Amino acid sequence: MTEAAPTVRVAELRKTFYDESRGEVKAVDGISFDCRPGQVFGLLGANGAGKTTTLRMLSTVLRPTGGSATLMGHDVRTDPEAVRRSLGFYSASTALYPRLTARETVEFFTRINGYPSDRVEERVQELVDRFGIAEYEDGRVEKLSSGMKQKVSIARTVAHDPPVLIFDEPTVGLDVMNALEMVKVIRELKEEGKTILFSSHIMSEVEKLCDRIGILHRGRLLALGTLDELRDRTGEHYLEDVFLDYVKQAEGIEGEAELGPAGALEEAGAPATESTGPEAAGP
Amino acid sequence: MNWHHIGILYRRELRSALRERTIVINGILLPIFLYPVMLWVMFTGLTFVQGVNEGFVSRIAVEVGPPAAHASLLDTLAAQESVEIVAGPGSTSDDPLPAERWDESLAGGELDAVVSFVEVEGEAAAALPDNFRVQIRYDRAEERSRQARSRVEEVVGEHRERWMGQEAQARGLDEAGRAVFAVTGQNVSSSEELGQLLLGQMLGFFLVIMVALGCFIPSVDTTAGERERSTWETLMTVSASRLSIVTAKYLYVATLGIVAGLLNVVALMVSVGAVVRPLLEGSQQNVDFSIPLLAAPVMLAGAVALALFFAAAMMILAAFARSFKDGQAMVTPVYWLVFVPLLLGDQTDVNLSLGTALVPIANVTLMIRDAIGGVFLWPWIGVTLAVTLGLAGGCVLVARQVLRFEEFLLGEFDGSFWRFAKEKLFA
Repeated sequence: MTEAAPTVRVAELRKTFYDESRGEVKAVDGISFDCRPGQVFGLLGANGAGKTTTLRMLSTVLRPTGGSATLMGHDVRTDPEAVRRSLGFYSASTALYPRLTARETVEFFTRINGYPSDRVEERVQELVDRFGIAEYEDGRVEKLSSGMKQKVSIARTVAHDPPVLIFDEPTVGLDVMNALEMVKVIRELKEEGKTILFSSHIMSEVEKLCDRIGILHRGRLLALGTLDELRDRTGEHYLEDVFLDYVKQAEGIEGEAELGPAGALEEAGAPATESTGPEAAGP
Repeated sequence: MNWHHIGILYRRELRSALRERTIVINGILLPIFLYPVMLWVMFTGLTFVQGVNEGFVSRIAVEVGPPAAHASLLDTLAAQESVEIVAGPGSTSDDPLPAERWDESLAGGELDAVVSFVEVEGEAAAALPDNFRVQIRYDRAEERSRQARSRVEEVVGEHRERWMGQEAQARGLDEAGRAVFAVTGQNVSSSEELGQLLLGQMLGFFLVIMVALGCFIPSVDTTAGERERSTWETLMTVSASRLSIVTAKYLYVATLGIVAGLLNVVALMVSVGAVVRPLLEGSQQNVDFSIPLLAAPVMLAGAVALALFFAAAMMILAAFARSFKDGQAMVTPVYWLVFVPLLLGDQTDVNLSLGTALVPIANVTLMIRDAIGGVFLWPWIGVTLAVTLGLAGGCVLVARQVLRFEEFLLGEFDGSFWRFAKEKLFA
């Protein structure tokens, strides 16, 4: 069976900020990866590794300094509106409008993201039913509990039925039950064939959800592959240990060509190529 | 720019705004209820104070009485219901205030005036025997003391008139013959013009302030407030373009400014009719509060142009702030700056001309005042609107420039427009 073509392609993506005290800061330093429908691609890294900056570039909130990225064939630099139409973005920093009701919120995001006008009502009802919002659909968001808000947030993210979804540390600040609910929803969306980009520093979530994992450290992609591949390369079982191996390696020989933990040569800062993963066999 | 998106975003902004208490109070309720309440309080207060003052009995000490030929003057003064001679000649008090305590009592408010009828010496005395001068010591800082002085002056003035009449008659001059070089004034302004003068000064002034106030909270709420609520990034990831998002916000802020300004005009017109007119009916003034029909579109044009300008200027500053409070602090100076040209525009002796039409804000005030007075200087009205819209356009261009910097979208520059201008615009 042939694998679907990647819906997200990232090549040599870079982002440099200028900071008065630190000078030029390479927040993202030439990373490359791609992702296909029905896959969850996990970006794993510590705080400040460049996960959010990467996802912000993919969602067109930030403009890349170099390299390229396309979503559904639309370039993030040249066609940002088309990219955003194909995309649902969820993060802890994307809050809801407190004075709108739950239903109005979902309706607003459905309309503004270009869902066909004549089917908006039907779509809103579908989302209200799917995420169990009906009970409080006419309640203002500011009056809802955090669990309720989370459901409305997810509903607004998928409101226009985008093929690509980005979840940037979606479980930050959630209690255990709501975090589990979030993981469940992401799984369902994956099963529906969505392309999902997921970032986290919580290893267990990445282990549970991601088909492929990219380990980011100081803006560079240290490793890329399935969980099993990463285990094989490092000889570690737990993702936490895998992650630490890669980070220690990178810290030890910072700035030079790096040897992967399992002996595979992975050039620091360069794209971790598909040659090490099963996706290399794709079309 | 996509007008379909702008429409959706605009409706979202309005819907949220109409559910925000501060915006509803400042943009709708305040303009509607400010004038009826303010005017009622003002007139009631004035009437009350006037009544209280009129009810006071002025306590006067007479240091030196008038010459014998004018002894009746003291009797007349003592006979006044509003005057009580508490010490000195003419006093009927059982316990008169000792002379050494008069100044102290005057300063302390227990005495309202000390009056001395001083004999005039020299040439003035030679020309007119029994001539005298009235010296009144009073406390100008006290309303009651000022009133005592007025009452004494009034009694002395009446006495002078009576005495002059008698003297003139003794010299063969009748009343008509004595009235030489008299000055009389004739007010040629109609009751309608008087009303237009009052309305012109009030409407122009308050329309500008209310448009600014109407833009104030929404401009902060839709920018800094959005950042504070963390909805800014949510909005940046919807498929509408940045330009559409900002245009919708801009039109929303301007709309609330226009609504506040126009509601204010309507409320003022109604208030003047319902509150001021009945109060003036008792007085000699006949004032007709009506305005020419053509003034309405001129006022509307002024309100729209000002709202577009204020909305853009306030949004630029507030958009850098990281919180609603910071946004308010950044926009407040703009709001107060509005008052400076407003004061020029509210001068009755300054008219709309090419020169004044080039002064922002003052020009709109003058344009509205003239229009209410039935004066339509179309070339200068055109210049006024062009200047105001030009400023709005300038602000929109700055806003476009600002939007290009993603640091702005991320809320950098310490939340300060001035830091952004220093680092990016003038670097």
